[in-house]
Amino acid sequence: MSEATPDHAREIAGEARDRIRFEEEALALADQVYRVARRLVPSPEEAEDLVQDTYVRAFRNWRSFEAGTNLRAWLLRILTNLNIDRGRRAQRAPSTQPVEEGDYFLYDRLDEAGAGEEHRLVERLSQDSIVEALAAVPHDFRDVVVLVDIGEFSYADAAQILDVPIGTVMSRLHRGRRILKQQLADMAATG
Amino acid sequence: MTAHGDCRQCEERLQPYLDRTLTADERAIVQLHLSECGRCARCYRLEEVLWKHVRNCCEEEVNGELASNGLQQRLAALRSEPG
Ligand SMILES: [Zn+2]
Repeated sequence: MSEATPDHAREIAGEARDRIRFEEEALALADQVYRVARRLVPSPEEAEDLVQDTYVRAFRNWRSFEAGTNLRAWLLRILTNLNIDRGRRAQRAPSTQPVEEGDYFLYDRLDEAGAGEEHRLVERLSQDSIVEALAAVPHDFRDVVVLVDIGEFSYADAAQILDVPIGTVMSRLHRGRRILKQQLADMAATG
Repeated sequence: MTAHGDCRQCEERLQPYLDRTLTADERAIVQLHLSECGRCARCYRLEEVLWKHVRNCCEEEVNGELASNGLQQRLAALRSEPG
């Protein structure tokens, strides 16, 4: 500002361009970010708040994003950190671990209810029951299932977003999937 | 190993199989068993179909919200002032 040399002016113009580009790229990902947020918190309102706070922070700290790396993962990392900051971790009950059957349990149950082609069998699980079952999975496990199976993040990205080792991502993913399938089996049994 | 034992091992390897973290030998054993065992082959197929279905259901549920919640506009308003 004090020295308006041509070089300096070019630098400022370059930075403004970078910033606009960053903001546009981030905004283009908003729907995808919301989809993940929606499965991490209970209500649409909370998801909207969380996404909005994420973008406030992202736009403020845009310089710390390394161009060429995964922007969606970077945004989700901000989002999951904000979500944890909101004290979500405090409401976790560490002693109650849900019952966990093997990986075939749900399928045996579905087959008992009537044979059929695979797609048909799985489609008997309604949208409502899936959303409800996912919400019942404890946070630590659900976070990973949501990032990998719904957000389609790689294990490496999920590990970075959650700041845990990749081995932890896999073990939580396996358990989270089993817990979710167990919930679905219970729901299928009760109608 | 008994057929039942093979099925149990195959069930335990379902997720590492999908993760592609099995060794080449372990993978070959799973594939051999899947070619011989209808139940395990069906469960492996169901697992793949299930996660696609879960993803689709979650997407559909949110589509309506995204169409009407005005989130894009609110986020766009957070951008830095141009110029
Ligand atoms: Zn088998």
